[in-house]
Amino acid sequence: MNISSIRYLIREGFRSIWQNALMAAASIGVLMSCLFVTGGAYLIGANISQAFDWVYEQNVMAVYAEDCRTNELLDLQLELEALENVKDVELVTKEEMLEQHAGDLPPELYESYKGENNPMPDTFLVTFSDLTDYDRSAAHILTLKHVEDVDYNGDLANTLTELRSTLLSVGGWVIVLLLLVALFIITNTIKLTVYNRRLEVRIMKSVGATNAFIRIPFVVEGMVLGLLSGALAFGILYYVYGRLADMFTFGMMGEPVTFGDHAVVLIIGFAVIGVLVGALGSAISVSRYLKEEVVHNE
Amino acid sequence: MITFDQVSKTYDNGVVALKDVNLHIEQGEFLFIVGASGAGKSTFLKLIMHEEVPTSGHIYVGDFSLSDMQPKEVPYLRRTMGVVFQDFRLIRNMNVFDNVAFAMRVIGASQREVRKRVPYILGLVGLQSKARCYPDELSGGEQQRVSLARALVNNPELIIADEPTGNIDPELSKDIVQLLSDINQLGTTVLMVTHERDLVKEFPHRVVEIQDGRVISDGLWEGGKHREHKQYTLSDT
Repeated sequence: MNISSIRYLIREGFRSIWQNALMAAASIGVLMSCLFVTGGAYLIGANISQAFDWVYEQNVMAVYAEDCRTNELLDLQLELEALENVKDVELVTKEEMLEQHAGDLPPELYESYKGENNPMPDTFLVTFSDLTDYDRSAAHILTLKHVEDVDYNGDLANTLTELRSTLLSVGGWVIVLLLLVALFIITNTIKLTVYNRRLEVRIMKSVGATNAFIRIPFVVEGMVLGLLSGALAFGILYYVYGRLADMFTFGMMGEPVTFGDHAVVLIIGFAVIGVLVGALGSAISVSRYLKEEVVHNE
Repeated sequence: MITFDQVSKTYDNGVVALKDVNLHIEQGEFLFIVGASGAGKSTFLKLIMHEEVPTSGHIYVGDFSLSDMQPKEVPYLRRTMGVVFQDFRLIRNMNVFDNVAFAMRVIGASQREVRKRVPYILGLVGLQSKARCYPDELSGGEQQRVSLARALVNNPELIIADEPTGNIDPELSKDIVQLLSDINQLGTTVLMVTHERDLVKEFPHRVVEIQDGRVISDGLWEGGKHREHKQYTLSDT
């Protein structure tokens, strides 16, 4: 295929959009709506994820150390920090621990515990970045030298992990379903465009244009429509999310995620999905039409 | 150029369009195919264009054997022929130049070739001054000339004209057939389907008559008389 042909095919793709403006608007409307809802689902997912991160941070494992020397404690801290899933390790010394419990103890007892009689253990407060392997992490920590015991809420961690995984999985399927719906509608909308241009297609076939050559302008058209849909969906989502984010706050969990933090993912995602769905929808509808023509003729 | 060897075509609904047709058309011939509506004329053309496939028999067009043709070969078969339709089939939102150029562009011709070839062909059909006009601004005869220009622009070996005079005035019809005759004189094979017997009698070309799917006569009109043409049989090849 020469440069002239490529230029011609691309120009034809744009010409078709202009000449079938109503169909183009319908396609853009459908795809834009699907991308908007998909983007919305993604942002809701990001907010849920952020909320879970906050909850995770509250779920701290207490690791009690044996009575040992300071350098041994520091070694244990380094070992804990080096673990893959560990986000943060904070050492609470036995003196600090006793201080924290001062109000719970009778004054005489508190005084007697000061110094060498302090029964409190040196404790590490360990925060994990992911609670998926919480039980396994705890079991592993128990095997470390100078660890006496661990204390954590395993049930809560497991429940949260399952809930998060279910929500993300459902969200993922909703997005896949939306994209399939978009593909189906785009395929049928572009099929109408192909039908409107059936005279051109018949002439193309009668003079010996290959099916690939017939298909390309429609695919270009689909890609351009997909890109325009993506741009519009991005703009509308930016506006709508901005307004909604201003209205909500999640209390202790903080503010909703900012649009800017996810803008790059969204713009690339919309562009890629828009172009792919547009191109695939067009290719499917033209191929079906050309196949129907052959079947009809045979 | 074209050979029909024991060709029959029966449609899915049971209609027998052609039955045991044997015919041979030489390169450079002008052939009228006449017959009443439903006689099988259009099926005959569709078989040549490979828009239909025969139920039995073999068809050869140039170097192509249509019976065992692969789908990917069909575009290359069609590039050897130009088709003129009764209803012109011009694209309304393209001007005359672009309608003709369209046939070149869709088979990958360069812009340079298009700029060179299209004005030449428009000159050949007498429409050089109408290049910027749109189909709706032209008469029926002029629209058919555009259709003819489009059929000619890729320099085909064969022109297929399916009732090209069906939608135009009788006076203009003669001009169209004369134009096709002139093109035939340049070496292009022309196959014209028509039901206008008076028109056929005015031009001294071979005439094949189809009735109920069978070829019932094959001859030449010369000096107002019909002279039998030797019927093609398989043993002649």
